[in-house]
Amino acid sequence: MQKINHLYWRAGFGLSPQEWEEKKNWTINKALNDLFKQAQKARPLNNPSSLSNMNPNMMNKSALKELIEKERKKVGERNAEWILRMSSNNESALLERMTLFWHGHFACRSRSGHLAVNQLNAIRKHALGNFRDLVLAIAKDPSMIRYLNNQQNKKQSPNENFARELMELFTIGRGHYTEQDIKEAARAFTGWSSNLKGEYVFRRFQHDYGQKEFFGKKGNFDGTDIIDMLLEKRQTAYFISSKIYRYFVNTKIDEAIVRDLADGFYRSNYDIGQLMRRIFESPWFYEAKNIGHKVKSPVEYSAGLIRLLDIQFENQNGIIFLQRALGQTLFNPPNVAGWPGGKSWIDNSTLMLRLSVAAAILNQAEVAFRPKAEAEERVRKMGRLKATVNLGRFKELTAGIPDQQLFDYFKSYLLLADTKTSPMLFRRMMNGVKTREQLIQRGLVFFTSLPEFQMC
Amino acid sequence: MKRRTFLKNTSLASTTFMVPSFLKNFQKKQHFSSRSGKILVVVQLSGGNDGLNTIVPYQNDIYYQNRPRLGITKNEVLQLTDELGFNPAMASMRSLYDQGLLSIVNNVGYPNPDRSHFRSMDIWHTASDSSEYLDSGWIGRYLDNTCNGCAPYNALELDDSLSLALKGKGSNGFAMKNPQQLKKMTDNRLLKALGQQDHHHDHEEVAYLYKTLIDTQSSADYLFEQSKVYKSKVAYPNTAFGKDLKQTAELITADTDTQIYYLSLGGFDTHANQKNTQERLLKQYADGMKAFVEDLRQNNLLDDTLILTFSEFGRRVGQNASNGTDHGTANNLYLIGGNLKKPGFYNEGPDLTNLDNGDLIYKVDFRNVYATILNQWLDADAPSVLGRRFEVLKMLG
Repeated sequence: MQKINHLYWRAGFGLSPQEWEEKKNWTINKALNDLFKQAQKARPLNNPSSLSNMNPNMMNKSALKELIEKERKKVGERNAEWILRMSSNNESALLERMTLFWHGHFACRSRSGHLAVNQLNAIRKHALGNFRDLVLAIAKDPSMIRYLNNQQNKKQSPNENFARELMELFTIGRGHYTEQDIKEAARAFTGWSSNLKGEYVFRRFQHDYGQKEFFGKKGNFDGTDIIDMLLEKRQTAYFISSKIYRYFVNTKIDEAIVRDLADGFYRSNYDIGQLMRRIFESPWFYEAKNIGHKVKSPVEYSAGLIRLLDIQFENQNGIIFLQRALGQTLFNPPNVAGWPGGKSWIDNSTLMLRLSVAAAILNQAEVAFRPKAEAEERVRKMGRLKATVNLGRFKELTAGIPDQQLFDYFKSYLLLADTKTSPMLFRRMMNGVKTREQLIQRGLVFFTSLPEFQMC
Repeated sequence: MKRRTFLKNTSLASTTFMVPSFLKNFQKKQHFSSRSGKILVVVQLSGGNDGLNTIVPYQNDIYYQNRPRLGITKNEVLQLTDELGFNPAMASMRSLYDQGLLSIVNNVGYPNPDRSHFRSMDIWHTASDSSEYLDSGWIGRYLDNTCNGCAPYNALELDDSLSLALKGKGSNGFAMKNPQQLKKMTDNRLLKALGQQDHHHDHEEVAYLYKTLIDTQSSADYLFEQSKVYKSKVAYPNTAFGKDLKQTAELITADTDTQIYYLSLGGFDTHANQKNTQERLLKQYADGMKAFVEDLRQNNLLDDTLILTFSEFGRRVGQNASNGTDHGTANNLYLIGGNLKKPGFYNEGPDLTNLDNGDLIYKVDFRNVYATILNQWLDADAPSVLGRRFEVLKMLG
């Protein structure tokens, strides 16, 4: 049971009460088939565009400004939609989880809802596919092109930003190329641009068709060649495998295992799905040292909580507010290196909020908090989160469990990490509870307030 | 009256639980530590304050040519030297300048400046190069290096959430908007019980969560007690920033075991109709500083306190078409306190004849300022905090 829980927390966002009842006694193999099968049915996020019909040349300045502002606001809507997708039983949790991983890997700040979702859909399309396709899609993604200034990368005045991050953060990692390699790679990506409508365009008059020398080879390389040459290096397979290991398995690397994974990844010609399946199938993935050791990221925490409590938010701002207050807002990573993760999620302020927000929602109390302002905001707003939970289904599902056994039920379902919290303390805190309904509600408050609940 | 009853109840409630002995020791620390260490107060002006309209080069024709509508006329400027003067909204700071309690450092920045708020603030917080991404802040690393075993509130941010600047690799600073609110949040029956149960965990991360919980609870109690020790008699401006400053002065005066205070004032991103917004904010800042310094003076704490004010970047020299200014680069920075080596102007004003594509060129790397403060004020080993050696400047007495 713990193994299934572990798998669904790492490969997804935990299990809803119903899924838990249904799947907790499954074999790993059955669960994996289920996860990977569902991932094949994936659909892109709906992405209505206000950009594609526009003609920037025909618009006056204020209309254009209005459009930009509208698009900026949409980033929040798209964010909320994505979180709800992560927490839905009807979507592929594995695919959303992989998409979230790559969203952090190809970290990019998006200022337009339309472009943000375009990028996300491109990532989703290749999230379990081939890594080369994924990198190429990112290199041609308008949001990334803008974020890393590749629009300014022109033959006459190359801009190295994208080329540098492509190597340092996206593929091969620091220390495996020279400054000259960056300069040459930047030349190869000149002209990879995007238009005002937010489409990728290749501007051939800005492209440098001359000879370049990259990794000791000479040729009239363009960006695609650079990506291929980066992937030819085994180090790239190692760099990606070790990042995946740290994210999905353990922040402390087991060198032998990672080498082995990287070998397989390289030999499979960078098949991501195969790599992930191998990880989730391996006995070492289910060793005690790998279970319950990861601090849930704010997004994982939120998606898991919504899944658990069937939360309805009074409005979507509550979802965004929670992310901002806990330090991870989708489409808005701290920088191109992504979210550092692990213990860095935790300080006195985020911990207290994490330990009390579920209880507040369960008690129908409003949570108010002032997240850091965006620099552009004139007035710092108070964030409010108001939501209701639906415990109806939960109560039905647990109806057969006697009161005395509820502690164990909650413990095995809600906690991945070992706990020293005793049934005695639980009973003490349940003192005065009169009805079964109250017991379920207060029991959930109890368990979601435990520091161990923050772990997965 | 009501508050007092509330306090009574909560203190009663907390004694019903057995307090572990290590917690008791922790709480006992209050009121005894003498003010041996120096105090640093960091004030962050968020959004990119327009330094050129704060410290105005009122004799410079290029300034007026670039700012036909936004330029502050010679008559309005509060002249400090033959070339430079205050924006009139800074009037309250005039007395600090005259008394030698203010040192203005011009042309502060860093190589290859980034014009994104986000990124530039990151660079100031982490003290990184502009091509480097660090996930710990300079104050956080100061705590890592010099402060093993310190109380969490050794560096205290007056805010609901903690800035990157105060996050170290191993230790963090502490965020608190106000002691009452914090106390209310931690006075939770279940969380108290959890903090008091056996918390030795094999899982390093779980142990860390429990440690943070327990630290937060004891810090809340301590800071709440400290906040009652001294009530300021100085009139502060009735703004959020003014309240933060007052809170800070009260905690400093109460001899709180906090060495670094971190405050922010936001809203400086003045792309359109800058004048009113910026002047309103500058007035808040200057009035607040005047009251704060007065408070410290009354308590003989001025020589032990250094206030550093910065913004993530300055603005472009030329105004834009909306009577505002866009994101720029180098900026001025202010040091306030009783221990300044070069009160007045630390260095010469901006060179408007030599611009980089319409932007000021930095002459002082902000990390030299950090290194100076770390070395000479906080008695720390600056290179190990900043990752490499930055020359110490002759700024502090």
